[in-house]
Amino acid sequence: MPDITDEQRKALEEKIKHMSPEELREFQKQQCIFCQIIAGKVPAKKVYEDEKCIGVLDINPAAKGHVLIMPKEHYVIMPQIPDKEIGHLFLVSKYLSQAMLKVMKVPGTMVYVANGLAAGQKAQHFMVHLIPRKEGDGVIDSTEKLLDLPIQRKVHLAVEHRLNQLLGIKKEVVVIDDGKEQETAAVEKKRDVPEPLPQDEKKGEEEETETEKEGGVSLDDIARLFK
Amino acid sequence: MTCEYCQLLDQKGSIIYEDAEVVVAVKDTVITAGQITVFTKEHFTILEMVPDSVIQKCCVMSNKVSIAVFEALGAQGTNIIINNGLGAGQKVPHVALEIVPRRENDGLILQWQPKQLMEDEMETAYLLLKAEGDKLVNIGKKQEKKEVVNAQEPVKGKIQDKAGKKNYLMGSLRRMP
Repeated sequence: MPDITDEQRKALEEKIKHMSPEELREFQKQQCIFCQIIAGKVPAKKVYEDEKCIGVLDINPAAKGHVLIMPKEHYVIMPQIPDKEIGHLFLVSKYLSQAMLKVMKVPGTMVYVANGLAAGQKAQHFMVHLIPRKEGDGVIDSTEKLLDLPIQRKVHLAVEHRLNQLLGIKKEVVVIDDGKEQETAAVEKKRDVPEPLPQDEKKGEEEETETEKEGGVSLDDIARLFK
Repeated sequence: MTCEYCQLLDQKGSIIYEDAEVVVAVKDTVITAGQITVFTKEHFTILEMVPDSVIQKCCVMSNKVSIAVFEALGAQGTNIIINNGLGAGQKVPHVALEIVPRRENDGLILQWQPKQLMEDEMETAYLLLKAEGDKLVNIGKKQEKKEVVNAQEPVKGKIQDKAGKKNYLMGSLRRMP
């Protein structure tokens, strides 16, 4: 950010508050260095380009030949990206990985996504890292440990439940008694119907306390951490 | 020797989701609790062997799993990692995407130390990769045509997905400060 006085900052904040979603998106785009690279306004070592994405060399690489693959459209985190574009980004990663193995003469590559500030994402523009790897290069420490079965089970159930909801799958429940099944169905309905309403009506601070109360972290909060 | 992931498929106990191409599972050895593994149903050793349509499915699934991890486990971020090749620390010879839940100050070091390369090193890497990258442009386009043909089968589920996505996108736009 360039140096600005407090007054200017306040004026800017005020301006942002009153922006429509479209204006806000446009504003974010203007601020984003990677959008400027994509538009050709900032020079970069571009190794790949098509209509949907580009691949450039990272200026602070983890290893020689570290490539960033990013969508031309400005997205902050992965959940904002349409499925088709995600598929395309990783497809390009596959082909570039192939090229990398060949020309950089490395025994392996790593495809790496940092999705959210807590995951170490530094840029405000979503990107896939493609990094040439060698044994013992120490790029990341992925030491694995054994997980206790109860924890494994807990994770399994929690993620399975939510994933099924996302995919629109009705879980194949082995019906033990009818009453129980009805109950779960009712709970699902409750969750599905009223949720969008409070999200639309409440804005700003109110909404933040709302998500805190629920104990979960909304995706928007994660995207917003970047500002 | 049988592959560890193919074995998971036989045991079923740790499988969260599976279809004709993609499997989602909770492994017992992980970087951190809550980690989910997405892998191909068919046995492929490295990424380069996986057909394009299967990769696309895996990645879209990884995003869904990642969203589920955000919401079900209260993660603040996720790392999605494919270790591709022994040299990259791939432990099981079966292509997999690891979805690692992250929280602030969770103590995991899944980030590299950035290097400052000499200009000529950057330049050689650039020239080498650019030469290959330029060849790829057409492959991407051919792929799109293929995709249209394939897309006819699983339309039903996908329409719902898209509607959900759009709503979310609209919601997120409205809620940004």
